[in-house]
Amino acid sequence: MKYYLKLGLILFIFSVVASGILAFVNSLTTPIIAAKKAQDEIDAREKLIPGAVFEEHETVDGESYFIALDEDSEPLGFVFIASENGYSSKILTMVGIDADFNIIGIEILDQGETPGLGANCENESFTAQFAEKQALNLKVNQDDGEITSLAGATITSRTIANSIRERANSLKSALETGGEQ
Amino acid sequence: MSFLKELTKGIIKENPIFVIVLGMCPTLAVTTSVVNALGMGLAATFVLICSNIMISLIKDITPASIRIPVYIVVIAAFVSIVDMIMEAYLPGLHKSLGLFIPLIVVNCIILGRAEAFAGKNTVLMSIADAIGMGLGFTLSLTIVGTIREILGAGTWLNIRVTPAGYDPMLIAILAPGAFITLGFLMAVMNMIKERK
Amino acid sequence: MENQNKLIVSSAPHIHEGSTVKNVMWNVVLALTPALIFSVYFWGIRALILSLTGAITAVLVEALIQKLRKVPITVHDGSAFLTGLLLAFNIHVGAPLWLPIIGAIVAITIGKQVFGGLGNNPVNPALVGRAFLLASWPTRMTAGWVAVKGYTMSGINNFNTIATNFEGTSQKAYDLITSATPLKVAQTLRDTTFVSEINAEAGIDLAGRIFSGLTEMETLKNLFWGNIGGCIGEVSAFALLLGAAYLLYKNIIEWRIPLFYLGTVFVLSFAFGSIPGSEPSLMLPFFHIFSGGLLLGAFFMATDYTTTPVTKNGRIIFGIGCGVLTIIIRLVGGYPEGVSYSILLMNVFTPLIDMITMPKAFGKVKK
Repeated sequence: MKYYLKLGLILFIFSVVASGILAFVNSLTTPIIAAKKAQDEIDAREKLIPGAVFEEHETVDGESYFIALDEDSEPLGFVFIASENGYSSKILTMVGIDADFNIIGIEILDQGETPGLGANCENESFTAQFAEKQALNLKVNQDDGEITSLAGATITSRTIANSIRERANSLKSALETGGEQ
Repeated sequence: MSFLKELTKGIIKENPIFVIVLGMCPTLAVTTSVVNALGMGLAATFVLICSNIMISLIKDITPASIRIPVYIVVIAAFVSIVDMIMEAYLPGLHKSLGLFIPLIVVNCIILGRAEAFAGKNTVLMSIADAIGMGLGFTLSLTIVGTIREILGAGTWLNIRVTPAGYDPMLIAILAPGAFITLGFLMAVMNMIKERK
Repeated sequence: MENQNKLIVSSAPHIHEGSTVKNVMWNVVLALTPALIFSVYFWGIRALILSLTGAITAVLVEALIQKLRKVPITVHDGSAFLTGLLLAFNIHVGAPLWLPIIGAIVAITIGKQVFGGLGNNPVNPALVGRAFLLASWPTRMTAGWVAVKGYTMSGINNFNTIATNFEGTSQKAYDLITSATPLKVAQTLRDTTFVSEINAEAGIDLAGRIFSGLTEMETLKNLFWGNIGGCIGEVSAFALLLGAAYLLYKNIIEWRIPLFYLGTVFVLSFAFGSIPGSEPSLMLPFFHIFSGGLLLGAFFMATDYTTTPVTKNGRIIFGIGCGVLTIIIRLVGGYPEGVSYSILLMNVFTPLIDMITMPKAFGKVKK
């Protein structure tokens, strides 16, 4: 009995020491990680609508979006994150639109699609074509839309276009009913 | 002399991937690009060195009957440290390696070296062993990553190395490509060993 | 008395009946010739060039590897030629020339020689090559297909019976019929978004009409003769059946695998093949049997000696397994066609099937 207690105690000491060190490292890195993530989002927004001040808002459904304001506090447009399941992963797309819901630019924040096919959605050559397209009826070419799908990755392309369209439409109706909090 | 021997054995003679065939999971999963392979290799090497040092230091105070749980605690602590530091300072690499960083904990190479070497040898020798094995692991991963990235994406370290008309062979960066590449490399390794 | 004679198994010496690897392989090549001739007739000399490129590359690679391995060079036995030819038969005529070259290299090296050459490969080498190409260059393998001149890709020619002014009714449906293979059309009609869209556009049950268009006598005739889009070797059901009849007559292939394979597809496609809102029709199984690579697969690939079971019951299991997998992939999978993957998967099961169906040795006591 005593023998097992001793073993347990030794293991316990090792664990305590390890946890102490981990807690220390964690306290050092957590703020850096959080700051970096926040900064990444700010950078992404900044890239979509340069030179704007962003104000966070929420629709009645609890979905958050940003209003971009210029120096005179006049609204320039909106930024929101559209997300939907693609071919093999959840695709997060940050979208910047102007006041008439024309897309200013998009940025894929996160995806885990097939390398070489769907994963190409992060490429500039694909995302650039979204600029100046009307977000409210965004579709891929297979659905008679203006967005040219990635070769061999229709589902990924369609997911991105559809998720943007749906979010844009729900944002529009939320704004029209004044559902802002 | 013997220090040098322990240092270099991991590269060819006891190469952890091609000869001992340990740590297959990260080898197959993260070698889709050279950056990932290098990052994984170096992260594992760091953990290996730290855990080998620590384990050879504590080998005299660790009762034999609970050495495996103790090793795991030590390794897990170092892996978590690497995980957190990477996320803070190398977020891009951290994201692309994803789940495989925490999984270094169960990488057979690290526990294997702790059990087979660091638990029985001096600190100095354990460092040599860890560096050698870590280098062998990193080198092997980088070779697999190089072949897969060039064939499957036409790039090396994200720099285009193939002519403009090259149509990337996608299978190389998909799962089957990992197995095929590894198989051919093992064959080459066996050929080299047989010639010697 | 007469029956008893058939049961006699005698000890050596035996008379060799004259069948050799060489004999078998070149006979299979001969049996594939009608399919090649039809293909050349439909698409011109390019079909022949692609096929020969695959076959010759395979022969050269096999010779090279056998030289490197320092084993006797046996390319004259035709097995490499056949592998290369079958691989090229799985490629469409619009493909670039390097596709069969790389496919043949992969088929011979990874599919065959790494395991020790003829008789040692676990799965069909030609299909390994095809799977490799499909994973590596999916767009090259699936885009740029060419229809037979004067016909549509899908084999549906009679637009007017489906809808008057078809092109105006729904451009998308029109594009589908003119530029997708029969199986691709069948697969697309299972996509509910697509179906509701074209139906809404046309104002009629357009999807249902197209689906019944697939199983019309007119379309089935096109499938039978080969007036559709397809891979080089799979296009004409008639030519493949001609070759299959020759092989069966010559006793080179055995009837069990093809019969149970096709039979399973027949039954399952009749039971599950229709789309919502359409009645099961007896024409549907024929559509599934004549379309895609099923006949090529069932008679020429699923009958490979090395990679299929040797026992009679094993062959029945193998055929049924192939049929079930093919239908699952065709009806619920992401690919329109599943013959090659179904054969590859069943190839992997072959040792297991052989093990459980091996008859008990005479006199051996059951454990």
